[in-house]
Amino acid sequence: MPKIPLYEYYIEKLGAEPGVFGDWEVPMRFSTAIEEHMAVRTNVAFFDVSHMGRALLKGPDVIPLIQYIYTKDLSKVKPGFMSGPTLALNEWARVKDDEMLYKINDEEWLFVPNALAREKMLNYIRNTAIAKGFRVEVVDLTNTYSMIALQGPRAVEVMESLGAKWAGDLKPLEFRLNEEFNGIKTFLVSRSGWTGEDGFEIWGEHGEIRKLVEALVARGVKPAGLIARDTLRIEMGFVLGDHEYGEDPVKYPCALALRYGMGAITWSKKGFVGEEALRACRREGLRWIRIGLKMGKEAGRLFPRQGSSVYVDDVWIGWVTSGCYSPVLNRGIAMAYLDTRYAILGEEVEVEIHGKKLPAKIVDFPFIEK
Amino acid sequence: MSDIVVKVRGKEYIVKTDRRYTETDEWAKLEGKIVVCGVTDYAQKELKDIVAVELPQIGRVVKKGEEIGMIDSVKATSTYYAPVSGRIIEVNKELESKPELLNQDPYGKGWIFKVEITEPSEYESLLTPEAYAEKIQKGKH
Repeated sequence: MPKIPLYEYYIEKLGAEPGVFGDWEVPMRFSTAIEEHMAVRTNVAFFDVSHMGRALLKGPDVIPLIQYIYTKDLSKVKPGFMSGPTLALNEWARVKDDEMLYKINDEEWLFVPNALAREKMLNYIRNTAIAKGFRVEVVDLTNTYSMIALQGPRAVEVMESLGAKWAGDLKPLEFRLNEEFNGIKTFLVSRSGWTGEDGFEIWGEHGEIRKLVEALVARGVKPAGLIARDTLRIEMGFVLGDHEYGEDPVKYPCALALRYGMGAITWSKKGFVGEEALRACRREGLRWIRIGLKMGKEAGRLFPRQGSSVYVDDVWIGWVTSGCYSPVLNRGIAMAYLDTRYAILGEEVEVEIHGKKLPAKIVDFPFIEK
Repeated sequence: MSDIVVKVRGKEYIVKTDRRYTETDEWAKLEGKIVVCGVTDYAQKELKDIVAVELPQIGRVVKKGEEIGMIDSVKATSTYYAPVSGRIIEVNKELESKPELLNQDPYGKGWIFKVEITEPSEYESLLTPEAYAEKIQKGKH
């Protein structure tokens, strides 16, 4: 199994607890997940997210290709900006992957597939380009660059202390290429992240990223592992493959049921993969819908996990896709698919945890005020 | 009595010498006819981020090795077991609102339940601190 490039450094030097995510060996936790979570919410911390894919699409037909593959209208993205997240669907309007795209110029775009979907997406895009006659080359940059996500309200201050005085001027989702600060050569710096906090994502060659990590640690920026990253995304109601979505139409409802938001689907756009099934799903109405569950006081800090059943009285009405303890709310929270007839915001339901039915309330996302 | 400190791959685990241990990482401390039970420093460091402890009913009669309850951490759920047979006479109610006591003070304020022991010889058959320290040392590779 591959290790992320700085794996040994995190385990040996920073005392991280090893684990596996998306077929990569990664640091799961450095101190405690709750401390790391709160550092991101109230201060600043960094994640190594090199397990995610990084790739370049190059050629005269990149725009028609991505317009065909993704659900969002990407024709008006400005150079130097990211667009997304958006969805790549299959013919059943189930989600292959949710991704961010980065427009360098009309003919060069970067994109970041999720770790588990990387090979599948790269092959799919290559094959689609060939089948449809689009002149696009797909270059996998995953092993070329490492990627750090610096997240939290103090992220700008940390970047400025490293000499990146321009960092605070970046607009949300804006990025710059080939910047150098504090003797660190970066490939890309974007104002983005996946935690709900302000922050930056930085790509660079492994040795340069090692220098960046050392500089962050020297400034007292806490390293954070992938457990905290998961609890942060759940608090925000952000979805994850194999939890909230997947390609199997038996296991997962159609993409509309995700209530993805953030403009991931552009209904006025025509001719993308899965469009027909997605429109059919909209016309016919939803059987299932993704909602949030906030556990009642009685549950203490217990939280449901993927697969937990949801009930009203003795009627089974849905299943949990992700759950965690929310350090901000001091309660268990979860995302679940509920039968739409029962998905009434503010209503009480019961969730099974360790064989006991415990009360929870149906809520919207995000779970915390942002 | 000084504690045994087991060092494994740069991490330290404390083993108290005033009590006995199980293969499943519980500790048991004999106080007259009563055995106080909890989980070890090693167990809490493996679990970290403990968010909930399921407490047993007072009065429940348990057998050595019987499943008592669940400990939930942010990442995983694990089960803890009865180190000895007997009747549960007290549980640590404070853990309901402060499960983090298990992380902060596993051998003290983080005790979980007390058993009135039926077979005192069972206590003697538990792992000695030295044997448990060796188990941790071997268990991590």
